[in-house]
Amino acid sequence: MKFHAVPIAPFEYELRDDADRARHARIFADDELIAAISRDRSLEQLANVTSLPGLYGDAYGMPDMHEGYGFPVGGVAATALPDGVISPGGIGFDINCGVRLLATEIERAAFEPNRERIVHDLSRTIPSGYGRSNLMALDRDELDRILEGGCRALIERHDAGLPEDLEVIEGGGCLDGARANAVSERARERGAPQLGTLGGGNHFLEVQLIDTIFDAAAAERLGLRAGAISVLIHTGSRGLGHQVCTDHLRVMDEAQARYGIVLPDRQLACTPLSSPEGQRYLGAMRAAANFAFANRQLIAHRVRGVFARHLGAARALRLVYDVGHNTAKLERHGDHELCVHRKGATRAFGPSSSELPARYRGLGQPVFVPGSMGTASHVMLGNDSAETRSLASVCHGAGRVLARGAAKRRVAGHELRRELEQRGITVRCASNTELAEEAPEAYKDVDRVVDVVVGAGLARKVARLVPLGVVKG
Amino acid sequence: MGWHAFEQHTSDVQVRVDAATLVDLFTEAGRALAEIIGTPAGVPSGAWRRVSVDARDRDALLVAWVNELIARTEIDDQLYTEIEVVDLTATRLDARIRGVPIAETRTPVKAATMHGLQIGAGAGGVSATLILDV
Repeated sequence: MKFHAVPIAPFEYELRDDADRARHARIFADDELIAAISRDRSLEQLANVTSLPGLYGDAYGMPDMHEGYGFPVGGVAATALPDGVISPGGIGFDINCGVRLLATEIERAAFEPNRERIVHDLSRTIPSGYGRSNLMALDRDELDRILEGGCRALIERHDAGLPEDLEVIEGGGCLDGARANAVSERARERGAPQLGTLGGGNHFLEVQLIDTIFDAAAAERLGLRAGAISVLIHTGSRGLGHQVCTDHLRVMDEAQARYGIVLPDRQLACTPLSSPEGQRYLGAMRAAANFAFANRQLIAHRVRGVFARHLGAARALRLVYDVGHNTAKLERHGDHELCVHRKGATRAFGPSSSELPARYRGLGQPVFVPGSMGTASHVMLGNDSAETRSLASVCHGAGRVLARGAAKRRVAGHELRRELEQRGITVRCASNTELAEEAPEAYKDVDRVVDVVVGAGLARKVARLVPLGVVKG
Repeated sequence: MGWHAFEQHTSDVQVRVDAATLVDLFTEAGRALAEIIGTPAGVPSGAWRRVSVDARDRDALLVAWVNELIARTEIDDQLYTEIEVVDLTATRLDARIRGVPIAETRTPVKAATMHGLQIGAGAGGVSATLILDV
């Protein structure tokens, strides 16, 4: 069956099948982005999502949506409790992959003479690519504490950060209800040596310049000042999260028939959240999410160390916020208790939300939208209207538009490296091939994606950040 | 005998595997994975490792097999370029694998997916299209 999108409001489209029947799914986009979204299997995948038992309202596609597996990347769907399902395919393998922003008072003039040394030191200090780091020797008990205690365990037991960091991490850096005993030995074996590593693919660490401020009052409350340096970290739960998803997808694929569930795609395998399989996955997924929070915390701690070595300990890096974009969260929307799946989509609570940290009450939840390598990233704040329009969700990045193979055929990695260097961006990436895969041409225009989010009323712009140094995973 | 080709996918890696027999198909899927992940530092010369996986049907078995290789590669820091399928049924696979260190990583792979997977008849015997999250 073929699917298409029909405009129903400014920056909003409705998904329809080939008989022009509406399919309980909406996409936020403009003409150009919907054309890109319609070129791959995103719409078909979003239509498949609407077949999840217990779906609440509509499924949503964000403006950075592109094809993935199971859910499209940039897909949001909620199921109503207590009978709705939870689907590991609605979260993805990289559980709680997310973004963390650190702000500084360092001026560009102070950073520039040290740029090469700092970026080089970051690349040496924070392992990237495949495999392990062994930055921390985690025995079984210590790993359990991190799986169930997240960032708090890391800060309290290993002094890897500041207590005040916890206030500005989604969920305080720890999702309650995590179950370390639902995480397999295989997942532990993969993940334990990887705490504090970036990984590969589109993960990165970027030193940035705050280039433009759109909302001066909001920027001041977030501690962002034009001309200052910031650091953005994008990574997730590494092999531990990948294996948790693999393990529980298999369990649900085998179990769902017992619950009478039949789906058009086995990657959407699910069981009721209230079932033993659903509860066990929820506990394991939360444990993996805590591992991801701790991973970003340890990386941030080491970033602070690098900056202190080169620019002095007084140059503090203050955590602005840390938010995931591959999660399922139990949330109350109106009168309904929901399990909200966000795969490649960011939670974006508005100013009136009681979930905001005290520091950001009345302001809105910070959202970070990284662009492609070499282009801008954005800091946004959620609007209250997103609550009813998109289940309080927005995009998570620019969104791929070009396959990796096509990007490599179109862009030579060594030339891209030279071009970025000529633009004053220091790049550390071991492989020219991987560099080419993440070329700016492979992604949509992040400014355009952000403008759709603003036009649809889901979030507002605060600041635009441009890269000065990139350590690519 | 088997062969593989990479197909268009916006964000991940889609690989089509063709083979004369199912044993060859599973072997070739393992070879394709090694090619995606990186370049081997030479030829395996160490001990063989025995691997067994099971699943509820043949499609799930292919995913379980590739996921086993993904995990072993990451844990052992070895690229498994030599694969011998010893026994294969609709729900179980026994194999021997032998690896070498990775000289250069090309694309770290997170997992194999069930999305759109169906092992079926192909021009040369059997074929499957597998999407890997990278």
